[in-house]
Amino acid sequence: MKQKSLINRLGGQKFIVLLVVIALFAFFCALSPDFRKVTTFIDILSKSYYLIFMAIGVTFPLITGGVDLSIGTGLICYSLAGGYLIVQKGVPTGVGILVCLLFGILIGFINGWLIAVMDLPAFLATLCTCMITRGLGSICSKSMGICWPQNGTPGGEFRSIFKIVVNRNQYPVGIIWALIVVAIMAFVLNHTKIGRYTFAIGSNKEAAILSGINVKFYHIMSYVISGFFAALAAVAYSAVFTTVQPGTGAGFELEAIGGAIIGGVSATGGAGSIEGTLIGVFVICLLKTGLPFIGLQANWQQIITGLVLIGAVLVDIIKRKKEEAV
Amino acid sequence: MKKRILATLISVAMVASMVVGCGSQAAAPAAAPAAEAPAEEAKEEAAPAEEAAPAEEAAPAEAAGDLTFEIIVKSYQSSYWQAAVTGINQRAGELGVTANCTGPNAESDIADQVNMLNNAINNAPNGIGLAACDQDAVLDSLQAAMDKGIPVVCFDSGVPNAPAGSVVSTVATDNYSAGATAADNLYPALKSRIGNGQVRIGEINQEATSNSIISRGLGFIDKFAELAAADGYTVAVIGNEKYVNDCKAEKADEATADIVIEVAVPAQTTVELCATEASAIMNKSDVIGMFGSNQVAAEGILTANDTLQVLGTSDDTVLAAGFDAGSVIKGAIKAGTMFGAVTQSPLAMGITTIDVLVAAANGESVSDVPTDGYWYNADNMEDASIAPNLYD
Amino acid sequence: MGEVILTMKDIDKSFPGVHALDHVNFEVRKGEVHALMGENGAGKSTLMKVLTGIYTKDSGSIEYEGREIEFKGAREAQDAGVVIVHQELNMLGHLTVAQNIFIGREFKKGIKIDDKKMNEEAAKLFERLHIDIDPTATMSDLTVGKQQMCEIAKAISHDAKVIIFDEPSAALTEAEIEELFKIIRDLREQQLGIVYISHRMDEIKVITDRVTVMRDGGYVGTLITADCTKDDIINMMVGRVIYEDPKTQSMVAKDAPVVLKVEHLNAGRMVQDVSFELRKGEILGFSGLMGAGRTETARAIFGADPKQSGDIYINGEKVEINSPQDAVKNGIGYLSEDRKRFGIVVQKTVAENSTMATMENFMKGLFINKRKERAAAQDYVDQLATKTPSVEQLVVNLSGGNQQKVVIAKWLVRDCDILIFDEPTRGIDVGAKNEIYKLMNRLASEGKSIIMISSEMTEILRMSDRIVVMCEGKKTGEIDISEATQENIMNMATREIG
Repeated sequence: MKQKSLINRLGGQKFIVLLVVIALFAFFCALSPDFRKVTTFIDILSKSYYLIFMAIGVTFPLITGGVDLSIGTGLICYSLAGGYLIVQKGVPTGVGILVCLLFGILIGFINGWLIAVMDLPAFLATLCTCMITRGLGSICSKSMGICWPQNGTPGGEFRSIFKIVVNRNQYPVGIIWALIVVAIMAFVLNHTKIGRYTFAIGSNKEAAILSGINVKFYHIMSYVISGFFAALAAVAYSAVFTTVQPGTGAGFELEAIGGAIIGGVSATGGAGSIEGTLIGVFVICLLKTGLPFIGLQANWQQIITGLVLIGAVLVDIIKRKKEEAV
Repeated sequence: MKKRILATLISVAMVASMVVGCGSQAAAPAAAPAAEAPAEEAKEEAAPAEEAAPAEEAAPAEAAGDLTFEIIVKSYQSSYWQAAVTGINQRAGELGVTANCTGPNAESDIADQVNMLNNAINNAPNGIGLAACDQDAVLDSLQAAMDKGIPVVCFDSGVPNAPAGSVVSTVATDNYSAGATAADNLYPALKSRIGNGQVRIGEINQEATSNSIISRGLGFIDKFAELAAADGYTVAVIGNEKYVNDCKAEKADEATADIVIEVAVPAQTTVELCATEASAIMNKSDVIGMFGSNQVAAEGILTANDTLQVLGTSDDTVLAAGFDAGSVIKGAIKAGTMFGAVTQSPLAMGITTIDVLVAAANGESVSDVPTDGYWYNADNMEDASIAPNLYD
Repeated sequence: MGEVILTMKDIDKSFPGVHALDHVNFEVRKGEVHALMGENGAGKSTLMKVLTGIYTKDSGSIEYEGREIEFKGAREAQDAGVVIVHQELNMLGHLTVAQNIFIGREFKKGIKIDDKKMNEEAAKLFERLHIDIDPTATMSDLTVGKQQMCEIAKAISHDAKVIIFDEPSAALTEAEIEELFKIIRDLREQQLGIVYISHRMDEIKVITDRVTVMRDGGYVGTLITADCTKDDIINMMVGRVIYEDPKTQSMVAKDAPVVLKVEHLNAGRMVQDVSFELRKGEILGFSGLMGAGRTETARAIFGADPKQSGDIYINGEKVEINSPQDAVKNGIGYLSEDRKRFGIVVQKTVAENSTMATMENFMKGLFINKRKERAAAQDYVDQLATKTPSVEQLVVNLSGGNQQKVVIAKWLVRDCDILIFDEPTRGIDVGAKNEIYKLMNRLASEGKSIIMISSEMTEILRMSDRIVVMCEGKKTGEIDISEATQENIMNMATREIG
């Protein structure tokens, strides 16, 4: 039996990434006094919810060895569709949210069907739905920006799901929901058939088929989960930000996928965890929020985020090479 | 083997059709408009017929009735553009001319807009109304329009380097002075807090490519610096290179200046990224004022404030000035979160654009039409002179 | 041997253009190990696929436990107790041992998968098989041998009554094969019926009770193993006598020039200070147990893996080889042990594979000269007697032996003088093996120099002029064929030095 290293016993890459999160936080705190504020912390949390949800969802296709590129534009599309109904057609906010979620599940199912049944490569299939949702979003909202109901206006109560404001004191309750969802999905991934077979597909799809698993169903499920969580992210996005603009959203998926991979999801499938993904997303969020504080121009932020991603993928590859060498 | 030959044939055919397609767009536009023109005319004839008296059935109501204009806005992202389109359609309806409005998804989709402009030129309309996303990207298309004798009226933003004669008129807010208007109103309110240690003013611009945004940003910086210099204060401008290099303000050293104006530009024109930039500035303890140079930037500041809760109208809060209107900004001003904002009149701009286009199409000589920017706050929002310009 | 548990009678099966099974008979008794033998393409796999319901038979009958049955798929066969342990391991590398064994039929507690119970059940299985594997270990961390044990455990866990082993020993070391045999004997004791498919004649003699031989889709006959000789079986399989005796002396002249000299080669843990010489026209055997570092040595020489130190001389001149391109430029060709991963591109044609290492010779300006490519490929198809309908055939459709010939053709087209054969006959049936051997001998006699890495002792003894033995990354011996015996090679292969 191999003696596991201390780091491995503490959770391997997850532990390292957690250290990175703490180090980044300390780094920004040290360099920018303005960063050391409760409000900044709340701000980071508020802007992290939609990314967390997207990343949790996309972790499933990633583990199967696929990818879902449609979650970014999908998010905007679902939000515009739901928001349009609420603002322009006067349906209750709850119904709007429901439509939003169903829309996400539908696009997820289409992705899954194209990939699992029609055998399209995941990259291609979701690239197509990425374009489709981008156009569909603009059509749903008649190409106009949509503001979901504001706090304090009728129907705006849903914004307090993520942040409660009492006497100018803010409580970022969204993080509680996010953590609960992380716990639930970690359970699903590790202790249910859906999760087990998600790993099985990513590990060796042929073997999974030979073991009598309904691979097509579970393969589709992984994309349905991804679509559903993109829609959940759409609700979070609509709640945190004011105007949802058609034509945006491209690029969100890269941050979510990047977060998942930093958090230890293998770029080639078969390995990953929800907790890791959560920690990885915080690396992205910290970089996004923190870098402006130390005076870096927007374009540099993207370069640095890209470099960090390369680093994370390299760690994954080097780790695998080492394992093979042993 | 047969398959391969077939595939080769198909790809050759595709390439050929693409080449031909491109060629016809640039060189032989006659075919496409010819096909569409009858349909357009039919529509036009139908429209006035409904409004006109039954007796005059089928006869063209007035000379303007034959005119078709292609209008290209920067995007439909903000209600600002929706108001402009409303003005355009309203006036076009009144005059019985046809105005086809299009626009890209986002103001940063420069290439999309150029495509739309090229398509518009190929439709050979009587005139084109253009709000250019990028003042350089459209130059070739403008030349093409001029070659075909299609008059172009720029609105909202001008195209300073346009080929001489291609743009017959620019209907635009004087963005530079509109930006200055914000400084004119913000500076006096902050004046009492300047001088006791360094203070900071934040400015969020959604981009650094379009003339209108750049002018507003620079107008604010220059005016603010001018007013401060008049009171004997020194000003440093930091942040985005474009704005730092182009502003006329006397630049002092950042360490010693009384006032630091920090300019931030996000990587994409989204509220979310504007908010990230805004919160980075608003978190600093020495910030006393913010300026967002359009609806997206101003909403970004408000989004950041959702968490930070530093904005207000009293002396211990950060005073924020916005630009344009829209329900979120109007709500914030009414609620006392935002100090005030500059609004243009997109509605009036749309109406004027159609007027100028009709005049140009009828061969009258036209010139630039500057429109105004108005300062509004909680006190004057309901005034009859202001309220109509505050679109949702 | 107990009563008959499974009888297949007059099984007939045709595919378009192929009469795959021609009235084949086969039976398995409780408590016997029944070998199913035949060259590749003889119909063994097809027969087993008909048995487990992956293919439907055209005619004939299958009687199992006294009832006529027809399974509708692997799942149904499994549930009834007929299980295949596949040659290519169907393992989910990222999952644990227990998760693998119970994949598709997990124990559950509500919606939660009960991993604890699965681990306990797996441990019980291993206990029954007398093997020591941790059910919570990750599958990819286990050796190939242990993974095979897990496959067996998985088969047993289906409450199997008939287990089919499809070339189970292909990837195992001698020690692991011993362990496998122990398990098989154990299962025989427990009155299971066992079908054992293998190409290794030695194993058949050791482990099986009866042998059924098939040839070209037809049934040849069934023998009691104890009553027949190896040659009897081979004769039945190929219909001709095959020479399987060891070489007695080196065919290389004493003064043949040294074409390749490796000095103090170091490349990681698996290649430590390896030095040897290869002469013109020589077949140099590399022997040793699995994981002795032979493949790693070859890959380091070939530039496929980085080396830390060491010099390589070709024809007396020192050369720098830092990549496979360098090696190919210097006339070295490498035939990987893992054909599918490194040797061939299965979705390409025979012609395209043959010319892959020599593209530049087949270019006409920017285009590939297809005619020249096909002609060259055809030439080698003829020379090597590769069985393919045409050079336009996709390699994936060829048998293992013929795939190997395509790989050989690739390096011959390149005109390499030094060829490294890594396990050249793995997964190849006896007839094709013999052809590969003849081919290697011919190449050597034409002046090519060959390094042959092999885990099969008979192959080493039969082919080599000289033998280098490795153990745990070090060279532990070198011996001329005239002095080599199984025993002294085995001694060196297990010797620890310093």
